[in-house]
Amino acid sequence: MKKFVVYLVLIVGGVIFFYPFLWMIMATFRSEIDIGYPGLFVKSLTLHNYEIVFKRIPILRALFNSLFVSLSVTASVIFFGSVVGYALSRLKFKIKGLILGVILFTMVIPFQITLIPMYILMVKFGWVDTYLALIVPGMISSFGILLFRQFFLDIPQDLIDAARIDGCNDFQILFKIFLPLSKPVMITVGIFSFMATWNDVLWPMLVIRTRELMTMPQLVTLFSIGGEAEGQLGPQLAATTLLALPIVVAYAFFQRYFIESMATTGLKG
Amino acid sequence: MRKTGFLLKEEHSGYLMSLPYVVYFCLFVAFPLIFSFILVFHRWNIITPMEFIGLGNFERLFHDVQFFKALRNTVIFLLIHIPLQIVVALLFATLLSQQIKAKGLFRAIYFMPVIVSGVVVTILWMQLYNYDAGILNVLLSKLGLKRVPWLISPSWAMPSIAIMATWKNVGLYIVIFLVGLQNIPGYLYEAAEIDGASGLQKFFYITLPSLNSAMVLVIILSTIGGFSLFIEPFVMTGGGPMNSTLSAMLYIYNQAFYFGHMGYAATLGFSFAMIVFVVIIIQRKIVERK
Amino acid sequence: MFIVFLCDLVYNLNPISDSLIKRTMLFLSVLLFVVGCVRDVGDSTSEVNEVYLTYWCSPNQQEIELAQKVVEIWNDEHDSVKVRLQPIPASQSSEEVLLAAIAGGTTPDICSNMWPGAMSDFIKAGGLVCLDTFPDFYDVMLSRVPDDLLESFRAEDGHFYQVPWKCNPVMMVYNVKLFKEAGIEKPPATYSEFLAAARKISKDIDGDGKPDRWMGYRDIKPIWWQRLFDFYPFYIAATGGGTLFKKGKLILNNPAAVKVFSFFQRLYMENYFPRSTLQGDQFLAGNIAVQFSGTWIVSYIERFKREDFEYDIAPVPVPDDYRGPVYTYGDPKNISIFSTTHYPGYAWEFVKFLISKANDLALLRKCTQIPVRKDLVTDEYFKEYFKENPKIRKFAEQAPYTRGVDGVPDLKEIFHIVSLEYEACCIYGVKEPGKAVQDAERNAKVVMEWNRQ
Repeated sequence: MKKFVVYLVLIVGGVIFFYPFLWMIMATFRSEIDIGYPGLFVKSLTLHNYEIVFKRIPILRALFNSLFVSLSVTASVIFFGSVVGYALSRLKFKIKGLILGVILFTMVIPFQITLIPMYILMVKFGWVDTYLALIVPGMISSFGILLFRQFFLDIPQDLIDAARIDGCNDFQILFKIFLPLSKPVMITVGIFSFMATWNDVLWPMLVIRTRELMTMPQLVTLFSIGGEAEGQLGPQLAATTLLALPIVVAYAFFQRYFIESMATTGLKG
Repeated sequence: MRKTGFLLKEEHSGYLMSLPYVVYFCLFVAFPLIFSFILVFHRWNIITPMEFIGLGNFERLFHDVQFFKALRNTVIFLLIHIPLQIVVALLFATLLSQQIKAKGLFRAIYFMPVIVSGVVVTILWMQLYNYDAGILNVLLSKLGLKRVPWLISPSWAMPSIAIMATWKNVGLYIVIFLVGLQNIPGYLYEAAEIDGASGLQKFFYITLPSLNSAMVLVIILSTIGGFSLFIEPFVMTGGGPMNSTLSAMLYIYNQAFYFGHMGYAATLGFSFAMIVFVVIIIQRKIVERK
Repeated sequence: MFIVFLCDLVYNLNPISDSLIKRTMLFLSVLLFVVGCVRDVGDSTSEVNEVYLTYWCSPNQQEIELAQKVVEIWNDEHDSVKVRLQPIPASQSSEEVLLAAIAGGTTPDICSNMWPGAMSDFIKAGGLVCLDTFPDFYDVMLSRVPDDLLESFRAEDGHFYQVPWKCNPVMMVYNVKLFKEAGIEKPPATYSEFLAAARKISKDIDGDGKPDRWMGYRDIKPIWWQRLFDFYPFYIAATGGGTLFKKGKLILNNPAAVKVFSFFQRLYMENYFPRSTLQGDQFLAGNIAVQFSGTWIVSYIERFKREDFEYDIAPVPVPDDYRGPVYTYGDPKNISIFSTTHYPGYAWEFVKFLISKANDLALLRKCTQIPVRKDLVTDEYFKEYFKENPKIRKFAEQAPYTRGVDGVPDLKEIFHIVSLEYEACCIYGVKEPGKAVQDAERNAKVVMEWNRQ
């Protein structure tokens, strides 16, 4: 009996969290008149909504932009995060403590303070409406550095000493010995910086005006509040579904692995 | 060869390897901070020369009804959002920590809204909330209940956004609580059982206190989230009805990009940031004392 | 935000195997490949040794088509001076884009979507070329527009920075059938006629307890420029062609403004206008009887209407006691040359080409927008067009009775303040119209003072 209630609540919760997505996907295949129907059933399947989206906005270009920007940022955050993290964890130099303190400090600065000056900086650099404005400010992440530093601290010193004797410099040690050991932290940092960049919409909205350079969330936002959707629900939801799709698919990839690994390691609550 | 030699010296490679961060810090942290501090004392629309106006921006701020309105709206948002979030997250985290099947699947589903972009959630919920044709109101009227003016009534609009934000984020907090629950040692419950404690007593005397640090995290993250609320009101209401969903970020955006008041927008950003700091410190003090 | 948790999630993935990474890489490369194949390669036209002018036009589809045509003709006729067309980058408003462009020094040579309300900052920043330095400026201008209209675009420093190009008089577009069904023979000209018509038209057809046919609909979001299409044209009409300022003084708090507020308040209080967001175009669907809009709507309706959709145009309603010609908001858009140009002379030649008779006719034909040109309706050249398009003719006849906006730097903020009061008073009915107008003027004055202290 108790079990039953537990499952019931869990399933109701599952419906609440999942049903809106399902409804949205089904609704995109309906014609404008039937769209308000709360069920999942599609009376007459139509791709018209998607046609409108592809015709009116360069959504594939936006998908490319989003991927390009997010992957560049992610690669850069991992690269610089590991380099700086290595320096801060395994090297002795004078201003190390100072830099560490500064990093901790930057992590508590709310972005409300820096947003306006950052925008002005982009304008003055002439970076408005270029990929640079989307990528460069995100290239280094304090949090990424700290994660790498934390991870590197636990790697035995013997490895470094041995490599030094072989004549390796610190970059060689980092790339040949440390990085191959740091897949978990690379994935952590990678996912978080990819997601943060991919989902950001405020910053692109400030610095990108050309439709061809817009990221997906920005393009979809402007499509739905601007005039291009002409107040029609179907195309708005279709654009939104396209926006959600890549991340949900990626999530499915990781999620399957997640469940698998839970089963094999026997990790139970 | 000489280059390698240079790098072999630990101190040198230390400087070299932390150089990227130093450059980044100067450009994208230190400069904006200093510049923000300068802007606060100026009036500037980017294209005409800056004008020094002393404390003029702060004077304006203290008389600005909309600033206080944005602050009040954020407080309303947090007062609904935080308790709702904690209750729902605790409920599902507790259920998920039982011996049940398909745990991973449930967790994966609850986590779905967290991974998708806020834009997706906002546009989707705007349709759910639509007064005439949204499925929430269609369901309500099918059940014979009155339609709720979700986004069009000044008293409902902010709660509606808070509910939506809870739906979007709660998966994250479920997982945070789950980790917390897993870390509670089992012998505590066994000991309590021997003492004859009821389920509720166990929850209030063992579970809740052990989740304290998770709780702090949830509250702080929600607070920061509340002060960063932007895309939701931007897309759904434009800050209306009657300023009831005007959020801190939206107000900064309006001042900077509609009206070109960069100085005043910087002042607003500065003030909101200070408020976030103070609120978080107070919250921490309160929660940790318990 | 998710940071903290994502780490947890990912650490739970242990042991991290190579297969996971490989799978990720595979997934990402497939995605990139797919997208890389489809995306267009952008424009790769970069020839050398030629003069290039960049021309920004308004980003709506019809105007882009017009501009493409015009630019094509120009480029055919001119071998040494080529014009490159670019629609203004999409954003919330063109003004914001231009502001950033001036600040970043990335302005085009010519832009034809200049809203006079935003010019003063651009001029102050030195972003625009002073046009009256061209020797034939006055000749060209005065052959096109009346003296007093040109004068209204003179900047504070006494110079001209904009060429009056086109306007979109805001008028009342109504569904003829709905009016007939309700027994209304002629379009309402006064507030009480409008309210009487609204009473007959707005109703609950399917009987579910909420109205589903309305007199009209406006986006109620408190965004400043939305008021340019409801409050402002009615205000201009009610004041007989007045604007918010008179001799540099704000005169918003006047009886006409109160009348406009009371009128809109009744429309919302008596449920003739819905507060909810309507989905799709309910005017074309026949669920909304009236729309207030500029001329461009005609080509929009013609494109999307059903076969049996009948509509007509009338001036916006005025207060019952108003006598005289009905004025309205003209929504003027002008042409400017930016000071970043290397070839002001060529740019000026192109501007003159843009406003030639042939291109004005193309503007009418392609975009159904009204060129600002004296004797437009009587000129032989346009006669045939107006005969074919009697609806556009109504807009053209209205054009001389339009007003623009005051060229003050705080204009957007003043409209924002009006917007907030309009919302409280008209849409939600929590404020008396008199009080709302009074508050609007007071708040606007406070803001103006702040901006100048």
